[in-house]
Amino acid sequence: MKKKIFYVCILIVLIACGGSTDDSFIPVNPTDNSSNDNNDDGASSNNNTQDWLIPISEVKDGGPGKDGIPSIDSPKFIDANDPRTDFLNDADLVIGIVKGGIVRAYPHSILDWHEIVNDKLNEDFITVNYCPLTGTAFGWRSAANGEKSTFGVSGLLYNTNLILYDRNTDSYWSQLELKCVNGDLIGDEPLLESVIETNWGTWKALYPNTKVLSLETGFSRNYGNYPYGGYKTNQDFFIFSASPSNDALPNKERVYAIIGDDVSKVYQFQKFTNGKVIKDLFKGKEILVIGNENLIYSFELNESQSDLVFEYDFNNSETFFKDNEGNKWSVFGKAIEGPRTGEQLKANKSVVSYWFAIAAFYPNPEIYTE
Amino acid sequence: MKVISMNLKIALLLVFGFLSNFLNAQTCCSGGIPLSSSIGLPNLEKGTIQIGIAYDYNKLNTLNNGTKKLDDNSRLRITHSTLINASYAITDRFSVEGLFTWVNQRRKISQFGNENLDQTSGIGDGLILLKYNFLNAIGKNTDLNLGIGSKMPFGSSVEKNNQGITLNADLQPGSNAWDMIYWSSISKSFDFRPSLNISLRNIYRSTGTNNSYFGDSTYKFGNEFQVLLGFSDQFLLFKTTTSPSISLKYRNATQDKIGGFDLENTGGNWVSIISNFSINIKPNVVFSAKAELPVYSNVDGTQLTPTYRLTTGILFTFAPKKEFLNLN
Repeated sequence: MKKKIFYVCILIVLIACGGSTDDSFIPVNPTDNSSNDNNDDGASSNNNTQDWLIPISEVKDGGPGKDGIPSIDSPKFIDANDPRTDFLNDADLVIGIVKGGIVRAYPHSILDWHEIVNDKLNEDFITVNYCPLTGTAFGWRSAANGEKSTFGVSGLLYNTNLILYDRNTDSYWSQLELKCVNGDLIGDEPLLESVIETNWGTWKALYPNTKVLSLETGFSRNYGNYPYGGYKTNQDFFIFSASPSNDALPNKERVYAIIGDDVSKVYQFQKFTNGKVIKDLFKGKEILVIGNENLIYSFELNESQSDLVFEYDFNNSETFFKDNEGNKWSVFGKAIEGPRTGEQLKANKSVVSYWFAIAAFYPNPEIYTE
Repeated sequence: MKVISMNLKIALLLVFGFLSNFLNAQTCCSGGIPLSSSIGLPNLEKGTIQIGIAYDYNKLNTLNNGTKKLDDNSRLRITHSTLINASYAITDRFSVEGLFTWVNQRRKISQFGNENLDQTSGIGDGLILLKYNFLNAIGKNTDLNLGIGSKMPFGSSVEKNNQGITLNADLQPGSNAWDMIYWSSISKSFDFRPSLNISLRNIYRSTGTNNSYFGDSTYKFGNEFQVLLGFSDQFLLFKTTTSPSISLKYRNATQDKIGGFDLENTGGNWVSIISNFSINIKPNVVFSAKAELPVYSNVDGTQLTPTYRLTTGILFTFAPKKEFLNLN
């Protein structure tokens, strides 16, 4: 009897250790992106191209894994005066977009947990993406290779900044590089949509009819809990490193940055307290930078606009600035009153960012001084 | 005697057969290598060697926010570990124990109809422990054992996926850090039933720091404290000695540190219940099977927390040959 028990026990150990497990069924098919097996045998990968436009040594595994931070693909919105917006305080940051008469806000407190919202505004598919570690948000067309595509969180970071992937081709896109850096679409650039980062109080004042992303995201998360502890305020706390560093400003100071190719010019919010208009030059072109302590945006001026004298004019309505012709302009640079009604100023490529991130992606950025 | 020797050879053959199967297949995996909870072989007479081999399956598929279970099972972390324990009694009281591991770490995300798997395999960290036994030092039928040791960074901490991207600390087979281990065990048996045993085991792991995390940063897993309160007894089953036991385990881990700063969504407090069944399949061979189920989890922030853990193993004991006085 003992001998039988002995062999049964040995058999149990063999079955336990050598047998297949619940996750060993995963198919390994290099052409099937529905299963990505990053194992050591090299049988398949996230995509099949090894070429990167960025140094692969600086690409880091963030920890949650691909889609471990789930994008919101079926966003639901509620009115600004809906009691369910009580999770938002006036000082809380949101990303705002206005397109085709639709006004929407995406709170940081939700984006911290999802980073990407694949949204549809009328017939336009827009991907709003936000990196909590660099504090940068963009809106871009939900398209890859000319076709509609949603985007997901790859789980990888470059210079501690979000790398997205498109679900059409599984190519990887560096958010702050604004470029596809790996995959079939390597070198492609996203088509940007104008978005504004400001606080909820300011956005509501600008657009009282705004809708705001609901907490009913389809995912179970504690949105009242910021998941990165003291990261936003501790100047020395980095989860992943970014380089080059630049100590001209505190690492985590939020700045408004105009970006173009490899250069950037940075504007500090404190310089815009109580509202300010600046005419400046960026890459040899005349620009208008306008804002207050909560919101900055900028435009490239053409010949017909460069002679206008602009003035900050925000009084808790859609009008954000005016000019000497009697035009009133929205924060997105659209003339909403006056002889130029309907005219649209050309928005600069810009982003609100932690200082260190702009300094890492666009080394030696120029800091605006009066 | 010849039969016993033959059986031992067969057993070793099967064990090594299993090992080679594991090494070739690399299909096993897990999330959290049971290093500190796998030490503490019994203290036996001078010269005794104990060798154990165990397989541990640790599944983490439960997403918690504090104590609240979230409705999300898209993330799966599994750690498959093979553990080899070896202990040698230097004296009747003093022994040394080593633990060596082979691990397969898996992270699978099932989201949006896709499955994404990242995994690493390889030699994991090891552990060495020096133990001293104070028999009846604090009372009749009471055993006190104290131990001190170190976790040694044998395992790789720079494993990459096949795109050449280094995976994060959680998925690495090793930690690239030396830890200090403080271990103690108190057990008591009773005159009315000598086979009944109550034990209390404490393990404190003071973790070291990986000073080259991702090349230019540091990573320190949180310090860990475990206490296990166990009850065991022995019964005869088919004329074979069996030892069922049940333990209550409390585990506390402080937050990990990255670059010297606390990392959110790491650390917490857990209580689990462990049921174990051992059977002496031969006088010197014990087979055991163990299941650990969580009963309370209070994690820092939002993180995966253990769903269950299964362990099976065999322990071989080789007593020293008795020396008889030759009167011829």
